[in-house]
Amino acid sequence: MWRHKLSEQELNREIDDSLAIQTFDLSRSFGPIRAVNDLNIDISRGELFALLGPNGSGKTTTINMLCCLLKPTRGTAHVLGFDINRQSNSVKSLIGTSPQDTTLSERLSPLENLELMARLNNVAPDKAKKWSAGLVEVMGLGDRAKDQVGKFSGGMKRRLSIAMSLISDPAVVFLDEPTLGLDPQARRALWDYIGNLKGEKTILLTTHYMEEADYLADRVGIIDEGKIAALGTSIDLKSMVIDKQIVVINGWNITIAALGSIKSRYQDVKVNGGQVIIAGKNLDFKEITDYVHSTGAIIRSAYFKEPSLEDAYLRITGKELKA
Amino acid sequence: MKFVSLALRNFKEVYRDPLALGFLLAFPLLFMLLFGAAMGGGSTPAYSVGVLDEDETELSSRFVTDVLEEIPTLKIALFENEVEAANSLRDSNIRAFIKIPSGFGDEVAKSYQQQDPDIVLHVTYDESDFVVSSQILSTVNTAVRSFAQIHIPVTINTSHINVETQVTQMDFVAPGIIIFGLLIMVPTAARIMVKDKEKGYMARMLTTPTRPWEFITGYSLALLVIAIVQIIIFIILGVAFGMSIVGNIFLAFLIFFLTALCSIGIGMVVAALSKTENQAEPLCWLIAMPLAVLSGVWFSQEMMPEYIQFIGNLFPFAHSVSAARLVIIRGADFSAVLDSIIFLAGWAAAVFTLGIVLFRQKMKG
Repeated sequence: MWRHKLSEQELNREIDDSLAIQTFDLSRSFGPIRAVNDLNIDISRGELFALLGPNGSGKTTTINMLCCLLKPTRGTAHVLGFDINRQSNSVKSLIGTSPQDTTLSERLSPLENLELMARLNNVAPDKAKKWSAGLVEVMGLGDRAKDQVGKFSGGMKRRLSIAMSLISDPAVVFLDEPTLGLDPQARRALWDYIGNLKGEKTILLTTHYMEEADYLADRVGIIDEGKIAALGTSIDLKSMVIDKQIVVINGWNITIAALGSIKSRYQDVKVNGGQVIIAGKNLDFKEITDYVHSTGAIIRSAYFKEPSLEDAYLRITGKELKA
Repeated sequence: MKFVSLALRNFKEVYRDPLALGFLLAFPLLFMLLFGAAMGGGSTPAYSVGVLDEDETELSSRFVTDVLEEIPTLKIALFENEVEAANSLRDSNIRAFIKIPSGFGDEVAKSYQQQDPDIVLHVTYDESDFVVSSQILSTVNTAVRSFAQIHIPVTINTSHINVETQVTQMDFVAPGIIIFGLLIMVPTAARIMVKDKEKGYMARMLTTPTRPWEFITGYSLALLVIAIVQIIIFIILGVAFGMSIVGNIFLAFLIFFLTALCSIGIGMVVAALSKTENQAEPLCWLIAMPLAVLSGVWFSQEMMPEYIQFIGNLFPFAHSVSAARLVIIRGADFSAVLDSIIFLAGWAAAVFTLGIVLFRQKMKG
């Protein structure tokens, strides 16, 4: 494992303490595997930044380094001006973290969980009690405030986990896959809550849900194999694929022979169940539907699709991101 | 104080878990019940032991009649010569025979007159039955020591002898059982912290500005409360099963308390080194079981080769067992066990320091 901390003179770019998070060639290896490789990102104060990538792309490793759980093997990062390698205690006193696994003290109530986390974050006992009671209400857990959390649903545990990351009123919040495993309704409720924090706190969120990054983030960093593959607003990223049109056809009786002839006629064809997706430049909608119809397929519906973050991701990384 | 909040959390995690709480409280209960029933109540097994009195003084004969013959676990058979005794041992009619050499009475008298005695007894035993032999040796050893330490010259205070000779097997075994029970705190302590590591709760706590010593203290305090409850249960049940505490009960408690501290400290070191319960559990048993044997918890240390005794004495539990026995059986006072108390406290301090250092290293990721 190569471990090298950069001195200030060695930093590859200028330090900007007005930023909430600034990384300098941040890298971490596990044996021969480089989980995070020369990561350089700047996140402004009050920004909600999403790191989007599949499992194993380096998202959690990045968060673990930024919240001082893991030492970088190379490079460093500044959180509100404090160096994660040299001033970890100062960094820890300014951040809140909600890890990927909803780790709670199962035999404790939400109030007790929150109060403990507040105390560990140096919040005075009276404030810890007051803030916990307030946050339990905000998170909609008021009626279960004194029940043991081990019996809670996944959604309730997630909400409590996020509340625990906010209990010390931190300036920077790390949310690692905050809606992982939740049903759409619970996910939407959490998005609304996280969305409300925008501008008030700097949030670094990791996700592998496209729509989550699209809905919540001010900017998205697409991370692939430990490197930032693309970075920008959701619109910026989508505009990278705007030159490409997509026609989606839902139908029946799309036989192998029909598919073979469609694929031979158009360059970029994907099939998903009864759905045929054709991508390309200057596509003629009528010509395509007529041709598909001529192969014997029965068209149920057909439409032009707006480029999505998923299309951008696919274009940038060459891979599909499966939730 | 953060460590108090953390200790409260850990304590709640245990006492709100009926299974964990049940195990921790039922463990000393079952343990004592089992050993108490086996060794304390009911008919006490008596071992036939031959005695050959070559000294033939008043003191040696009183030692036989007033001490050895009064021990309920020994059935004394007198022999005239060594060959006869050896044959009887070979034929399994007796389990051991004690030869009281000439000069025994003079040496005991020296002890009565506050001079340094050199008391020698020759015990020949059947080594094929290790457990019985060790019990006989241990019983005889204590009987001689109690006999020689009566500080009344010439005349023997018989009532004193009677008190001392009423030492039961439970008196010998109970301190060992309690120390073994406290040794079990090693895996218990490690398990509680490693569980948090494995579930990721520790990682969450490590993102807060909490220092290593606060973590270690927070975990240990909760365990110490559990250990204190266990010690109380152990002592109550020990007394119920016939353990008589001759010395100061608080002094015995202090020894057990320091032993618990050492166990918890070792548990914290194992927890700092392990990532999962699967790593911690075998490591704990690998430490606890040999230490139990080396420390004379089950068998008297005197039965072991000197180098094994030396190794055992490097660890705190051998000192716990001997100090606890001194206080419980012989009524030793604070000054008599001060060395052991200092050793135990030093060990506890060292092992906690090591735990904090290792925890700090692991915290650095």
